[in-house]
Amino acid sequence: MPRGSRRRKLTLDYVSFMIVFLGLPLALFLVFVIWPFIQAVFYSLTDWTGYTAEFNVIGLGNFTKLLDDPIFMKAVGNSIVLAIVVPLVTIVIALAFATLITVGGSGKGQVQGIRNSSFYRVVSFFPYAIPAIVIGLIWRQIFDPSAGLLNGILTGLGMEQFSSFPWLGRVGTAMPVTMFVIVWGFVGFYMLLFIAAIKGIPAETYEAARIDGAGRFRTAWSITIPLIRDSVQTAYIYLGIMALDAFVYMQALNPNGGPDNSTLVMSQQLFRTAFTRGQFGYASAMGVVLAVVTLLFAAIVFTVNRITGGRDDGGRA
Amino acid sequence: MSAITTTALVKEYPGGVRGVDGIDVTIEDGEFFALLGPSGCGKTTLLRSIAGLEAITEGTLHIGERDVTNAQPGERGVAMVFQDYALFPHMDVGDNIAYPLKIRKVGRTERRKTATGIANGLSLDGLIERRPGQLSGGQQQRVALARAVATRPEVLLLDEPLSNLDARLRLEARTFLKELQRDLGVTTVFVTHDQAEALALADRIAVMKSGKLQQLGTPREVFGRPLNTFVAGFIGSTPMNLVTTTVADGGVRVGTATVPLPATAEGKVADGAAVVWGARPEYLRWSREPVDGGIPAEVSVTENLGASVLVSAHSGDVRLQLVLGEDDEPSPGDTGWVVATARRSLLFDAATTELIG
Repeated sequence: MPRGSRRRKLTLDYVSFMIVFLGLPLALFLVFVIWPFIQAVFYSLTDWTGYTAEFNVIGLGNFTKLLDDPIFMKAVGNSIVLAIVVPLVTIVIALAFATLITVGGSGKGQVQGIRNSSFYRVVSFFPYAIPAIVIGLIWRQIFDPSAGLLNGILTGLGMEQFSSFPWLGRVGTAMPVTMFVIVWGFVGFYMLLFIAAIKGIPAETYEAARIDGAGRFRTAWSITIPLIRDSVQTAYIYLGIMALDAFVYMQALNPNGGPDNSTLVMSQQLFRTAFTRGQFGYASAMGVVLAVVTLLFAAIVFTVNRITGGRDDGGRA
Repeated sequence: MSAITTTALVKEYPGGVRGVDGIDVTIEDGEFFALLGPSGCGKTTLLRSIAGLEAITEGTLHIGERDVTNAQPGERGVAMVFQDYALFPHMDVGDNIAYPLKIRKVGRTERRKTATGIANGLSLDGLIERRPGQLSGGQQQRVALARAVATRPEVLLLDEPLSNLDARLRLEARTFLKELQRDLGVTTVFVTHDQAEALALADRIAVMKSGKLQQLGTPREVFGRPLNTFVAGFIGSTPMNLVTTTVADGGVRVGTATVPLPATAEGKVADGAAVVWGARPEYLRWSREPVDGGIPAEVSVTENLGASVLVSAHSGDVRLQLVLGEDDEPSPGDTGWVVATARRSLLFDAATTELIG
């Protein structure tokens, strides 16, 4: 077909459609996403304090300084640990719950979830309905060394060594406990996501596996996971990006970065550098690093999925 | 020995609906057995109960000597082909067929070898590395069959095995299925709503309605001597003529004539009894000359069935249908006599609908 005939006439209808559905979103995206990105990258090359109009362009000085900054490097390490552990644990638990609720019931009779599964489904979604900052503050109260619920229960059970155990104040426990809180907050939502995905698999598929003699673990491993791998990948990326930020949870549980900076993450250090220390240029450089790490993370997840998926056809027959 | 025996089997759903309502049946070892009935008659529920996919509410189920009423599906020694085949979309044909072997911890090379052997036997050569999504309906069905027979099950269950195939393929698959069943000698139970399929394939047929067994017998018995009017009307490509009438003068009033009593019903009914007279369209003749015991009738419609023709004729307010050869085909408006073979017609009790003779 010749090029000319494919060009559409610029009718009012066509032009207004383009403006509303393409022009407007694109303009908003450029102004509120792309432009701030460019600005941030630009400021990362300056020594701007954030509170004055003057600044000098200092090239890559901020970035070389970052490499020699042990506190920031520690924060990068913590963020990466979070991005690896939190999605993994959340997805494993969410998948286990979703399986129990949808197909984990009695091995004979119809494919169904465990007894009262709808009750568990609703209850486990509760944490997701609570704002992150509230979750953080509630758990900080629970973990309180002397007045907290956790130590109260543990000592009540006769474990006196926990009478004033500082869960958030020890290098060894601060990070695991923090991760637990984040996982607790997210399991319910991802469980629902997986439930929806599992319900998309025909019951006959499970019945066929069951007649072939497959038990629950094998069914989960060889039927459920391969058929919902797209959902798992999406969940992994969302959770990873959230864990790389994790600002609200960290700030609520340990505003100062925890003992020996053991729970300090990039976003916290960025915030502190920008608003407490007045080093906007330096903080912008941290932001650029955070963005690069996030993009790298997503790229790795996609690549791993592509490699392990082999001839993945999206799970469709 | 792997006969299947159900004793007073009941499957009750929450809310009190009985999908299967007290079925006693013994399916012999190596038998090709059909569960036949209209939608919602409980035939699929019964099949799924045998498979263990429905929990049995009351009664017992034995496969061979074992009581498997409460056994897990995987422990019953059954294999099943589902209506939509239920192949695993993320595995290739070889892995699909070998899946039950994998669960039985057969080594990978042996597994693959067995799967390839079975696949070749079912003319799936060269498709072993395809995904189910890349196969035609007929091929998918053969993969499902291959997966089912891979473990040499004691019992093979088929849920509407031919319903997803087009008409021509269905005929091919029917012959193929019968050959396969005979070669394997496996006890096979299949569900169908298509009476022609059941007649063609099965050694014995169980006709069901509302969760209850209506008749159990060979295709010939079920076709020739249906035990009640439901079975009589359900079996047969063209439904049996069923005329509600009374016994009079040692015969039966049909339309404007009195026809002789069916041979098997003689002496079993008295004059004035309310009965249903039944005759298959295939067993009725058309005569242009008066015949003793013939029913005078006028042809209203003829429908071409290929090598034969379905004729609808009226005698008074009674409509009779006949299947005639293409040579002695009457035209609409013609008058003549419908002649029933006394040996082939049946009499049912009008009140209980059950066969008198």
